[in-house]
Amino acid sequence: MKETKGKSIREAWILCLIIGLVMINFPFIHIFNTDHLIFNIPELVLYFLIGWPLSIFVIWLFVHNMGADSADSNTQPKDGRVP
Amino acid sequence: MIPAKTVLLISIIYFVILFLVAYYADRRRQKGRSLLSSSHVYSLSLAVYCTSWTFYGSVGRAATSGLEFLPIYLGPTLIAFTWWFLLRKMVRISKQQNITSIADFLSSRYDRSAILGAIVTLFAVFGITPYIALQLKAIAHTLNILSMPLVMSELGLEAYTQMLPTGIDTAFIVAFILAIFGMIFGARHLDSSERHEGLVVAVAFESLVKLIAFIAVGIFVTYGMFDGFSDIFQRFFAQFPERRDLFLLGTEQTPYTKWFTLIILSMMAVMFLPRQFHIMITENSDENHIKKAMWRFPAYLFLMNIFVIPIALGGLIVNGGDTAQADYFVLTLPLASGHPWLALLVFVGGLSAAAGMVMVSSVTISTMILNHLIMPIILKMNVHIQDFSGILINLKRLGILGTVFLGYFYFRVIGDSYALVNIGLISFTAATQFAPAIIGGLYWKRANRKAASAGIGTGFLLWVYTLLIPSFVRSGWVSSDILQNGLFNFSLLKPLELFGLRGFDIYTHSLFWSLLFNLAAFLTVSFFSEQSESEKQQADKFVEIFTEQTVAQTSLKRISKAPTVMEFVELMSKFIGGKQAQASITEYLKNQEIDSRGSLSDHEIPHLKNFTERTLAGYVGAAPARIILDNYLAARGSEMEDVFDIFGSVTISDAASREQLSVLYDAAQIVSSGADFQQVLDRILELLSQQFKFDLCVIRFLEPESMTLMVRSLVGQSSEDFGQSERNLNMDTYIGQAFLSNVTMVVNDTEYLEKAASAKIIKREAITCFAHTPIVLEGEPVGVLSAFSKTVKGIFTQEFVALFENLARQIAIAWRNQQQLQELLIVRDQEREMEIARDIQMGLLPSSLPQLESVALAGLCVPAHQVGGDYYDFIQRNSTTYDVVIADVSGHNIGSALIMAEARTFIHARIQSIQQPAAMLSELNSYFLKDLDRSDLFVTMFYLQYNPDSHRLIYSNAGHNNPLLWRNKKKQLELLDAEGLIFGVKKNISFEQKTTNLAAGDLLLLYTDGIIEAENNDHQFFGTERLGHLLEECDNLDPQEIIDCIMNQVRFFTGMRHFNDDITLVVMKVLN
Repeated sequence: MKETKGKSIREAWILCLIIGLVMINFPFIHIFNTDHLIFNIPELVLYFLIGWPLSIFVIWLFVHNMGADSADSNTQPKDGRVP
Repeated sequence: MIPAKTVLLISIIYFVILFLVAYYADRRRQKGRSLLSSSHVYSLSLAVYCTSWTFYGSVGRAATSGLEFLPIYLGPTLIAFTWWFLLRKMVRISKQQNITSIADFLSSRYDRSAILGAIVTLFAVFGITPYIALQLKAIAHTLNILSMPLVMSELGLEAYTQMLPTGIDTAFIVAFILAIFGMIFGARHLDSSERHEGLVVAVAFESLVKLIAFIAVGIFVTYGMFDGFSDIFQRFFAQFPERRDLFLLGTEQTPYTKWFTLIILSMMAVMFLPRQFHIMITENSDENHIKKAMWRFPAYLFLMNIFVIPIALGGLIVNGGDTAQADYFVLTLPLASGHPWLALLVFVGGLSAAAGMVMVSSVTISTMILNHLIMPIILKMNVHIQDFSGILINLKRLGILGTVFLGYFYFRVIGDSYALVNIGLISFTAATQFAPAIIGGLYWKRANRKAASAGIGTGFLLWVYTLLIPSFVRSGWVSSDILQNGLFNFSLLKPLELFGLRGFDIYTHSLFWSLLFNLAAFLTVSFFSEQSESEKQQADKFVEIFTEQTVAQTSLKRISKAPTVMEFVELMSKFIGGKQAQASITEYLKNQEIDSRGSLSDHEIPHLKNFTERTLAGYVGAAPARIILDNYLAARGSEMEDVFDIFGSVTISDAASREQLSVLYDAAQIVSSGADFQQVLDRILELLSQQFKFDLCVIRFLEPESMTLMVRSLVGQSSEDFGQSERNLNMDTYIGQAFLSNVTMVVNDTEYLEKAASAKIIKREAITCFAHTPIVLEGEPVGVLSAFSKTVKGIFTQEFVALFENLARQIAIAWRNQQQLQELLIVRDQEREMEIARDIQMGLLPSSLPQLESVALAGLCVPAHQVGGDYYDFIQRNSTTYDVVIADVSGHNIGSALIMAEARTFIHARIQSIQQPAAMLSELNSYFLKDLDRSDLFVTMFYLQYNPDSHRLIYSNAGHNNPLLWRNKKKQLELLDAEGLIFGVKKNISFEQKTTNLAAGDLLLLYTDGIIEAENNDHQFFGTERLGHLLEECDNLDPQEIIDCIMNQVRFFTGMRHFNDDITLVVMKVLN
């Protein structure tokens, strides 16, 4: 069970990475690559000003929901060297 | 302007604060209240990523190239998604292996290769040292800007620098201070795997300062000088409508490919730049800090960048669109608008960004140089010095000083060159070359040493050719010929259009080719080359770090001529200092079993060897540590004994390992060799004893009569009353318990014995560990296999016990074979005896028949088995009378044969005294009564006397089949019937005696029931009727021919079936 959980968490992270890569690269980003201004701010700049904190929020959400149990699905060795 | 005095004073105060912060952190640690236990410190320290190149440069890039600065921060945000599995894995491994640097990590993963460590170190030195120069340049330059005199006649900073000796400038001073800082807080101890509390906390503090400074100036520009984001953009677009494409992608300035390249580069750089690796992995104190850092670090980067565009645009608006000083807009904007204190704060922020990078990089690189370039050379030179540790720590400090001043040297020599300004991305590309070997090494076991060296080496060459050389050309150090015409005028080899690939920016082009060749070499070599055993083990340790912790393979190896604990301490002291060595060993021994003599048991020594190697690795790196240990053991003539490999591999494998199978195979070979049982046992014990270095191996088998275990085979040394003596079966001894409860008994350390009876003997014989396993056949124990060691403890791991039990099963098979062979021999003996009996019995039947003128005779007896119970005889009583007898004893065994012999003897002995057939039968009945009663047998008999002269036939019957008489004259078949019971039923039986006369041509057939009860496949009997008909048909034949004819017919009748019963036929034909 633990292994499956760890695996699915890993898969979720990789999925996020791929979505992130897609969303800040051509061709997806081409959608916002216009001359158009919103509140005098170029659309692309606004996209990053909003999208970036949003992605950080997603990481925070994930980490927050991982909880304490998955934190140590594999007990980490105690601080420092391992005899 | 700000008076130079103030700037210098502030700088000095800032450095003093840094020293105090670092000092405070170190003190806190000594008191056991480490600041590193806070995840905030870890998250902040990661921001060493933001150097002065980003602090000042981002604004510059935004002003000149628009959004191009952004990928450098978006990449790290993206890669943070992988930290929970990728970074955590690297942290876990590094802690377990005492990894000191990225070079050490790669070298450690790839068979602790010294060459790979050296390649990575060289790569880092080439790629990173110029980056240090860039930081020094930033500090020196900003110092100048801040104290720039407004009036030419005044002296700014020069007033002070003039006082300095010639050749020494502000950058030199700064370099010197940073080097001192690095030496104090980065090389306090030699142990690089230990965290540098002071250094890290100082870096975290600097990160905080640079963030505050940048946000402060951002707020000032955006909301102080202008009216927010919207206002700045509006005024910028109004003033420079032609520069709208600064905020677009896919332009000539920032094509999508370059955008993508920069994202990939920064993703890799944030993980694999040596300083990032150091802060993120080596200095990590708790894996859970990663979780927090995963969002805090991207958030830091976001905050750091939120005002980059407003400042850049504000600078352009204020400077009329001039981008010449764009890199320093952060500083010049508050300065020009009359806010010197804000400018000073920004300067301190920039100083922080630069100082943090220089300190961490210099410590990291000097560790790499010491461990991967200098150490191998020192070890090769074989210097005989008692204590290296002092020299090594000073070499490390010298390394830090050297690295910082190498950076200073670059700064002085190449100053403002293109190469230096772009060193940020150049070093990012260099760090990316480590990615395939690291990520591959973490998830792919086949990735091997040669492949990693080939990949990184090829990547390095391509990086030099496609990135470093062009930047040298642009700096004017190398002729531009090579760019225009290619190497050796070969146009396909143009560094910027390699193999004709055109249309890409320099970074995309370089990244594509270097990574392509790197990956291709890495994958190809991995596929086509084999790993050594130690490399496989190391690969397993890395790839499988999160799966069930495997016991180190060497854990159960034995070192021949093993060094003692003190000798290991001496060896460690040589490199890490006596105090450190003592402290390490004390910590280690706390958790170990120590025997009565105060030393470690044999199988603990390899653990200690591994511990020593790991401890040394923390100080000098994995590859040198391995070389040190290998050299040391080789010099002593010690080696890890191969025979013990079997335990190692047995321990780790789920299925049977090759070695295990090989031993069992050898044992099976011995068992099936057909050798004598004793030899088989001896050879199996020899195999066991040789392979596992047991001092004594014994096989005992149960002696059922005395119920003791008797020694059957023994290999090794033993006193008479130990290994050689038999053992009684009771639960007071281990061997007794093993046999009686049918379980393997293992004692891995004889210090802890539960059975007093055994303890006495074991102590006397100085046995250290032993095991007994029952030899079991079909669930029943038949003996016990025992093994004893006098030198090693703890041999009997679970897996080894499985092997041991398997050997016992092989012995059981040999035992069964032996038993079966014995049985076979007995049967053969019995058969031979039966054959003798048969010969004797056949000898009791008439060998030749009397040749008479008046009567022709023939007889045949065919036993169903070797011996039978049928009997016939012709006896000449006197010159005129013949007695003929036929009898059938029930059964076809020896008993029947004996009774038959008895009957014959009786008849032959008494024939003269007993005249009449009835009397003869009567006497026989009396004689047999007791014997037959005892043996449950019975006898039928037909007895006749014939006088050829008178043709008179007198006969009596004791329950036998009535003989057939063919009257030739009448052509009629008669039965010779006479009343009489079988022998052995009761004491006095009266046998009827009848008389008849025979005529010439008459045929008399006497037979036993074997012939009429012969069965065919349809379970039909041959029967009397068929026999009678046969006799009628054969009346013209002579007696022998009649017998042959009858037998042929019977055989024909029964087909393939065997006769169930003995068959006896006697034919008498009256002649003339």
